[in-house]
Amino acid sequence: MYTQADKRRDLPSLVAHIREGDCVAIGGGLSWREPMAALRELVRQQIKGLRLVGSAHGIDVDLLCGAGAVAVSAESYVGFEQDFGMAPNYRRACESGAVEVRDSCCYTLVQQLRAAIAGLPFMPIRSVRGTGFTHMHPDYKTMLCPYTGEELVLVPALQPDVSILHAQYGDAHGNLHIQGPPVTDILFSKASKKVIATVERIVPHEQLTEAGVTIPYFYVTALAEVPYGAHPTSCYPFYAYDRAHTADYYRCASDGADTFRNQYLRPYVYDCPSHADYLAAIGGDGVLKRLATWSQNSDAWMALYA
Amino acid sequence: MLDRTKPASCTLGEAMITQIASTIEDSIVAFHGFGSPLVQLALHLAKKTHAPHLVLVAGATYGVNPTPPFLAPTTNDWVMNRGAECHLDIEELFDLAASGRVGRMFLSGLQIDRWGNMNVTRVGRERLQLKLPGGGGGCNLSCDVQHVTIWTAAHRAAPDPKGRRRFRLVESCDFITNVGHRTAEGKTRSEMRYRGQGPDSIVTELGVFDFDGSGHARLAALYPDVDVAEVRENTGFEFPMREDLGLIPLPTPAMVEFIRALDPLRIHERELRPEERARSFSLQ
Repeated sequence: MYTQADKRRDLPSLVAHIREGDCVAIGGGLSWREPMAALRELVRQQIKGLRLVGSAHGIDVDLLCGAGAVAVSAESYVGFEQDFGMAPNYRRACESGAVEVRDSCCYTLVQQLRAAIAGLPFMPIRSVRGTGFTHMHPDYKTMLCPYTGEELVLVPALQPDVSILHAQYGDAHGNLHIQGPPVTDILFSKASKKVIATVERIVPHEQLTEAGVTIPYFYVTALAEVPYGAHPTSCYPFYAYDRAHTADYYRCASDGADTFRNQYLRPYVYDCPSHADYLAAIGGDGVLKRLATWSQNSDAWMALYA
Repeated sequence: MLDRTKPASCTLGEAMITQIASTIEDSIVAFHGFGSPLVQLALHLAKKTHAPHLVLVAGATYGVNPTPPFLAPTTNDWVMNRGAECHLDIEELFDLAASGRVGRMFLSGLQIDRWGNMNVTRVGRERLQLKLPGGGGGCNLSCDVQHVTIWTAAHRAAPDPKGRRRFRLVESCDFITNVGHRTAEGKTRSEMRYRGQGPDSIVTELGVFDFDGSGHARLAALYPDVDVAEVRENTGFEFPMREDLGLIPLPTPAMVEFIRALDPLRIHERELRPEERARSFSLQ
């Protein structure tokens, strides 16, 4: 339980909670509310050997793979959907053997987290039998149900060492408010040993409770105020998905590991010691203001994606 | 008065969307995943036409009955859950499926075999040749959901310079991510006692398959510009055909207008290869 009155940190101290070799759960999903600023800081701090667990992800996992930070991937999906296609760094890392492939599946992950949340050694599941996942995961066991006689798969409790989240609002005590789809963030928070969060705004406690507490403070280890901390993924209502930046990312990543390092990691991660430097590198106020225009009307929103 | 001329033709994508929509029953819970704009449009089309009581659960946002102003290029975008009546948690959707209350799901794969097994995980049995993105929740849902519609817009397998074809509809999958009607060990769904009844159609850009009593894919209908020989040469396994094999019903002009209004950015065409985007069918 994390009960300190004030858990506010700066971004480097926040990320320093992650240790080499940790089992890490990244919040958000696909192009929505990924804790990208924290992941870039993680890369700068050269934290390696991470074992990732998650549901549907994209640029977050791909970036960590491209930076050589990942040892094992137990994600359910890593890609850029129909928008750009397969995840180039993730593919290279898996195919070269740098990353060990331990794919999971959304409900399997949910049940594993629920076991950890309830303090149980496993949860049963009726699906998965007959698929390739049973061979990929010798840690899944089967049993005959003592009530019905049917065969069930048992999936072991999963307690990530640390969850890394990005939310819209937090208070100094660590209460978090997520507006819009929480994806797996709530389950991750309840199951993990540590939860670190970046937020768009730290607000007074009264204001946060008025909005509603999505994740209670005692799960949260520390938080940092990092506006635009999800860029280039979206964090509505503040900003939409930066498709143009993501296209540039994808071009660099597709071109090979060297191009990715020299044309993406260097200008946007290694040469940006602070998040403010990053925001300047991606185009500063002009770009950020444009990403906020989604709320004007559908045409303005659509224009961001044209 | 404005000239409101109705579309005189539809594109292949619009025909595929209509065909996928036709597999959706009214008054069920149906869920789409991510990376599947053809399916997203099909669900909205079904709800607009023959399935007004459909409980439409949007993938990634888990919004229920949303009314997106346009289709976004990625699935977990606030565009896609605008107007949603309510939202589910990730665990709630999968619990509904596990308890037999999700009526239909839509799944695909880089490899799809004659029994409707799908591979979205890896190419290469011993050595990993190509890491695929992974199946999201497809593995669980393929076992649990009542019915599955399989779709792919890349059935056509053009030969390489040496004449070899890399089939999408394959003899057997390198890895089974989502189960169809027979496991790799040859067990049937009833032997496995899955909740769901498995896939009942494969909608491709060449035609539509259903499944016969043994759970084997069976050619059921073709697009107007495709013949059986073309389907055979692009398919990695032998298949039976329905006796009443016919043409795929095309959308009405009003359905085409609905699709075009909902997808002004033509996001669904990113699922189609350039040469397939050029195909169109007369609605006269």
